[in-house]
Amino acid sequence: MNMQTTTRLTTAEAALVEAFGAQVGDLPGNGAVIGTRDRLLDDLKKSGLPTRRIESWHYTDLKNLFREVPEANGSAGVSAVAPLIAGSSVLTVLQGEADAKVHAEGFSVSAYKDALSDGSAVKGLTALDKDDAIGRINGSFVRDGFSLSVPAGADLADPIEIQALHAGGQIHTRFPAVFGAGAKATIIERHRAETDAAALVSSISDIALEDGAEVTWILLQQQGAADTHLGQIRVSLGKDAKLRLYVINAGGKLVRQELRIEVEGEGADLTLRGVNLLGGDTHTDVTLVLGHNVPHTTSTETIRNVLFDRASGVFQGMIKVAPDAQKTDAKMACNTLLMSDDADFSVKPELEIFADDVICGHGATVSDIDRNHLFYLMARGVPENKARAMLVNAFVAEIAEELEDEKLVAPLEELISDWLDKHA
Amino acid sequence: MPAVQETIDQVRGIDIDQYKYGFETIIEVDKAPKGLSEDIIRFISAKKQEPDWMLEWRLDAYKRWLTMEEPTWARVDYPKIDFNDVYYYAAPKNVTGPTSLDEVDPELLRTYEKLGIPLREQEILAGVERPRVAVDAVFDSVSVVTTFKDELKKAGVIFMSISEAIREYPELIKQYLGTVVPTTDNYYATLNAAVFTDGSFVYVPKGVRCPMELSTYFRINEKNTGQFERTLIIAEEGAYVSYLEGCTAPQRDENQLHAAVVELVALDDAEIKYSTVQNWFPGDKDGKGGIYNFVTKRGDCRGHRSKISWTQVETGSAITWKYPSCILRGDDSRGEFYSIAVSNGHQQIDSGTKMIHLGKNTSSRIISKGISAGVSQNTYRGQVSIHRRAENARNFTNCDSLLIGDKCGAHTVPYIDVKNSSGQIEHEATTSKISDDQKFYAMQRGIPEEEAIALIVNGFVKDVIQQLPMEFAVEAQKLIGISLEGSVG
Repeated sequence: MNMQTTTRLTTAEAALVEAFGAQVGDLPGNGAVIGTRDRLLDDLKKSGLPTRRIESWHYTDLKNLFREVPEANGSAGVSAVAPLIAGSSVLTVLQGEADAKVHAEGFSVSAYKDALSDGSAVKGLTALDKDDAIGRINGSFVRDGFSLSVPAGADLADPIEIQALHAGGQIHTRFPAVFGAGAKATIIERHRAETDAAALVSSISDIALEDGAEVTWILLQQQGAADTHLGQIRVSLGKDAKLRLYVINAGGKLVRQELRIEVEGEGADLTLRGVNLLGGDTHTDVTLVLGHNVPHTTSTETIRNVLFDRASGVFQGMIKVAPDAQKTDAKMACNTLLMSDDADFSVKPELEIFADDVICGHGATVSDIDRNHLFYLMARGVPENKARAMLVNAFVAEIAEELEDEKLVAPLEELISDWLDKHA
Repeated sequence: MPAVQETIDQVRGIDIDQYKYGFETIIEVDKAPKGLSEDIIRFISAKKQEPDWMLEWRLDAYKRWLTMEEPTWARVDYPKIDFNDVYYYAAPKNVTGPTSLDEVDPELLRTYEKLGIPLREQEILAGVERPRVAVDAVFDSVSVVTTFKDELKKAGVIFMSISEAIREYPELIKQYLGTVVPTTDNYYATLNAAVFTDGSFVYVPKGVRCPMELSTYFRINEKNTGQFERTLIIAEEGAYVSYLEGCTAPQRDENQLHAAVVELVALDDAEIKYSTVQNWFPGDKDGKGGIYNFVTKRGDCRGHRSKISWTQVETGSAITWKYPSCILRGDDSRGEFYSIAVSNGHQQIDSGTKMIHLGKNTSSRIISKGISAGVSQNTYRGQVSIHRRAENARNFTNCDSLLIGDKCGAHTVPYIDVKNSSGQIEHEATTSKISDDQKFYAMQRGIPEEEAIALIVNGFVKDVIQQLPMEFAVEAQKLIGISLEGSVG
């Protein structure tokens, strides 16, 4: 490996480099994969972690915020938990390693480690651009995960639940998922800390919807109060494909969720819903880059944020409309409730439009609870703290309700209520 | 939709080659040698008969500038500027500073006549019906004349070129210059601090409502010259002033540089209304020539209950890099930004505003309408920042864009940073032709579609145009050559 010593690395950067040196010997992968890992780490070393001078990291200065790499903790004992929805096919990743005992019905699944070992994973192990720190970290360190494939025409009655559970340490997972033409499925991706021990988690899901596929993908991030979670979801949508993507953040100390979505087929539709429940000292950043690349595609994005304590939240949402992507209809909204004077929220909803016959819009609001709403409830005898709780709950639970399917709505509502009970 | 079609036709109608103000005035000029150095700065300072502290101020800025790097974050693309290939000082001969009209070169007067700028007070007085406007005319590097000076003086208002003010009111200048846009602010502002040649100075004393509109008219005439003007407006307690700037330049093949700084200071209960009709030469239809317009404009609502309002109509310049901003420092202060930015041909606009809420109960309002045609790029870039102690801040932002043709781009980059929970911040941006919701609202009340569109459009146009002083509203509309129909969102 070409050791470069020209740039001064921060403690965390140096620790990453060191960790790579220690782990590379037993990271899975054939020659091509190892070569790619080396290259990604080298790029990371050269450019360092991104700072606020890099526009896409403007609000999350990773170099400054990410201070320590926790010790790797390979042997921690964690075990699978009950799925959110009874009857789901459960795919478990414990401490970053896929549990091979999988019962798959109607779809095929294999450990991602296998794709690394036989080299078939190498194509996906790339950084999306020069500022893609998550792509680089994950690409260098990824150890396991699941490769999912739902065949064309399949209609899965029960959800597939991916459980990524850990007890601190370094966890790097990856979940490529391909949905064949016309396939219908619901996936729940849960990231959860089982202990308070600090963890560095990076995880990338590569989601490809072929023509006419209809997928609901729910990401639940419930990391511990000391954890760093660097997540990325890469999506490509084929012709007439429909994706409902729910991203719920309810944990972690330093969280960055990147959603990189390319709408590639005419008639495709994206419904993105985000809920950020932020408390304590968390810094949580959700960054969306959505490309409408062909004519006649639609998308709606709604992000709801509630902040308590000293939480700091970020939403960056960029909608790009390519030249000739006429008749694009994209609407984005980001609504934030600041429940504490020590909390802050920054939002940057961007539009980049190169076609003239489009309807694109974004809205953003930041405020406290509406006094009129509060008055309405209090005038009916609801005490103030309860009225507040009800309003906050309604503000975010609304998003869950949009899923319509009671089987999915109920556990999400419960998760939201539980979190609010603990923090409000 | 007819309204949309009309707007599209009108914008197409503004042929970029039809720039009306592209003529050149042949006049003898005094020029400093090309290039930038300490000597040039000493030369400018000496020409302006400036006191030593001013020269020091400039030299400090210059030293600082040498260490700075050109910003690259804006969505504009242009070949690297050679700052040593520019004349930093060019003045029409026989003009040592603003003087009486009789001494002004008749060629210059004819120039301003051609531009439709009234410089003769008596002529203005003859038209009883017309509201009177005091004009400071800046030609290349110097102010050639300022009208109505005496009458303004009676009201206590000081309106003169900034070079004159540096000589006559050094204390005021020392107290305020560089306090809103420090010399270290940004690359172009620092350059401006080093080499600024002229501009306007306005001082409105306590409790005075300025009796007429004030206006500065900037003209770049000479080849290869840069124009670096500096404007400083101070409104004391309870004062009010409305100010307009206009600008044009001859049609030339090469690009010319314009880097201005405008500073506004509003003390308790004061109000400043600043309007710009920017019509620098935008370049020809192939994108050749045109002005590079890098401008730093900032208002400081220093006093309680003060108000600063920016209105801009941007139609010219090859490159526009401009973010008129408000610092809402005083409690209950208010900032406003109204903008129409029209880009055509190869123009690139990256413009917007910053509203920095520091005081309690501060409010701001941003209305921005962008129209892009041809192969132009039009970006709104803005920031609304609510600081930790800015209780009960209120912001409303609305940015609408209209694209005409499929070769141009419209972009929106708003930054919203909120650190206080008692604020209420709303932002909306759209890119579309006309909102169906609004049309539906009107139509379901029995108004036919055509009329509904007209109604919406009229209301929409008012937003920005109404903010301009009457006289200039007409001028602005003529200048754009379009109504804002169709960009309703």
